[in-house]
Amino acid sequence: MRQIISFYSLLLVVSITNAQTTQDSINQQINGAQRLMSTNVNSGVTVGGYGEITYNQPENENGEIDVQRLVLLFGYKFNEQVQFITEIEFEHVKEVFVEQAFVNYNVAENFNIRGGLMLVPMGIINEFHEPTTFNGNERPSLDNVIVPTTWREIGFGINGRFSSIDLGYQAYIFNGFKSSFLDENGEIQGLLKGSNGLRSGRQKGIQSTISSPTFAAKFDYYGILGLRLGLSGYVGQTQSENELNNVEGAQIGIVMVGFDARYNYKRFTARGQFIYTSLSDTNLYNNLTGKDLGSALQGWYLEGAYNVLPLSKKQKLIAFTRVEQYDTHASTTGGLSKNDAYNRMDVTTGLSYHIAPGVVVKGDYQFKDNALAGNELKNQLNIGIGVWF
Amino acid sequence: MKVIKNSIVLILSLTVFTLQSFQLPKNIQKKVDKEIKLAFEMESFTLESISVSENVNEKLITKITGHNFYKIKQNDSIFGYAFVDKAPSKAAQFDYLVLLDNQLIIKKSKVLIYREEYGGEISSKRWLKQFVGKSAIDQLKYGKDIIAISGATISARSMTLAVNNLFSTLEILQKNNTI
Repeated sequence: MRQIISFYSLLLVVSITNAQTTQDSINQQINGAQRLMSTNVNSGVTVGGYGEITYNQPENENGEIDVQRLVLLFGYKFNEQVQFITEIEFEHVKEVFVEQAFVNYNVAENFNIRGGLMLVPMGIINEFHEPTTFNGNERPSLDNVIVPTTWREIGFGINGRFSSIDLGYQAYIFNGFKSSFLDENGEIQGLLKGSNGLRSGRQKGIQSTISSPTFAAKFDYYGILGLRLGLSGYVGQTQSENELNNVEGAQIGIVMVGFDARYNYKRFTARGQFIYTSLSDTNLYNNLTGKDLGSALQGWYLEGAYNVLPLSKKQKLIAFTRVEQYDTHASTTGGLSKNDAYNRMDVTTGLSYHIAPGVVVKGDYQFKDNALAGNELKNQLNIGIGVWF
Repeated sequence: MKVIKNSIVLILSLTVFTLQSFQLPKNIQKKVDKEIKLAFEMESFTLESISVSENVNEKLITKITGHNFYKIKQNDSIFGYAFVDKAPSKAAQFDYLVLLDNQLIIKKSKVLIYREEYGGEISSKRWLKQFVGKSAIDQLKYGKDIIAISGATISARSMTLAVNNLFSTLEILQKNNTI
């Protein structure tokens, strides 16, 4: 009996191998032409990446030259339905992060299950931040202090689309922000603060602590030609270390909602975003940690852009202006007075010169202001190179 | 004994699969049939695959494989053409269909299967409608003739390129009197 089984197992292996060889050669025939367009895909391996090299020059100060980000994308398709995607990020040359690492399982048409280290779908930039997809060298400031891009955590969930009504959806359970921890002296320290809200609480999948899951969802509507609308939501508690689980104020509650719109018609493009974040128990948190975290964070931006080159040209020269207003102290509780330095307004204007699809040279100037009387922020000139392939 | 039975079934099914992969996969074929019925408003039709010689194929950007380009026929008269192929998205490939009338003008374009989250917006009927009425004389310019989709640049560009490549292929085939 055993011999028979071994014989058939062998036969099975041989026949599978044969089938694969046949299939591969057919694929090669089918895809010979596409191989020219994309050499990556057919072997199952995808290689890509993006990078930003920038020069920031504030008024009357020394400038900074930096390889701000270099992100390498690798994907592997195990079969028609199962794919692994990862992005390895080098920040400022020396810091290495994993920006994404997830498995996507295409269960049915327009329906996927996904798990791993993923981007939280909130607003535009957190998911779409390749340098050729946005104007200006720096991401909108709103997408730094209110939506803490690149915001990624470990989680799982579903995504897909209702094709007939042109609606895409994503819904995930994520690990949340870490709000507090005990330092080596046993003192309670807080990670979240007034100047940049939740940003310092990102755990990024690095030996993250989890005490309660959070929930994120986004809907994208693209049924009107040239227009794309997004509605995002995020709810949950922050995380803290074991010892602090029952300490009042060690965790706070977060509700974040975002609305975004992108429009393009021939040479004209526009986009805008509004984000409102409500934080609960910030008074307890501030008392416990001595921080100055606001109880609401709010911001918006609007951007208009025009390609000054005719559309028949392969290159694009885009002139743009973006106006942003954002406040990480939109409201405060527990006697914490609003810090007007956190109520900011940026106007960014400049050019994006797309030498080829995927290569952009950017130059822009940022006028920065806040609500504080007499506290003049330094305006800044930015020049940079961005690539995406 | 069960193991043996299972193995045989598996071997048989693999063999069948290998043979079948010379034609369109069943799920794709089903979708193609459905779209033809709708677009040409006909209940019955036959698909006759178009083959070209190796010499001609060499000149083509989009290769004709014998199972990606078909004549749509009813009672020996040609009503149109169906082209089925794959094109790259960000990290995968999608299957698309282009239906042309007998004058080689696009009657309908459709994304049959899209496999990743990024760029899936190209399946939008409104967006794909932009290809309708175009023919080989139109070399389409992404962003100008075909309105761009924010957040789906790679796939939208890829679909536009695929249609342009098909157009230049059709032009050569016409010159060679293949179609």
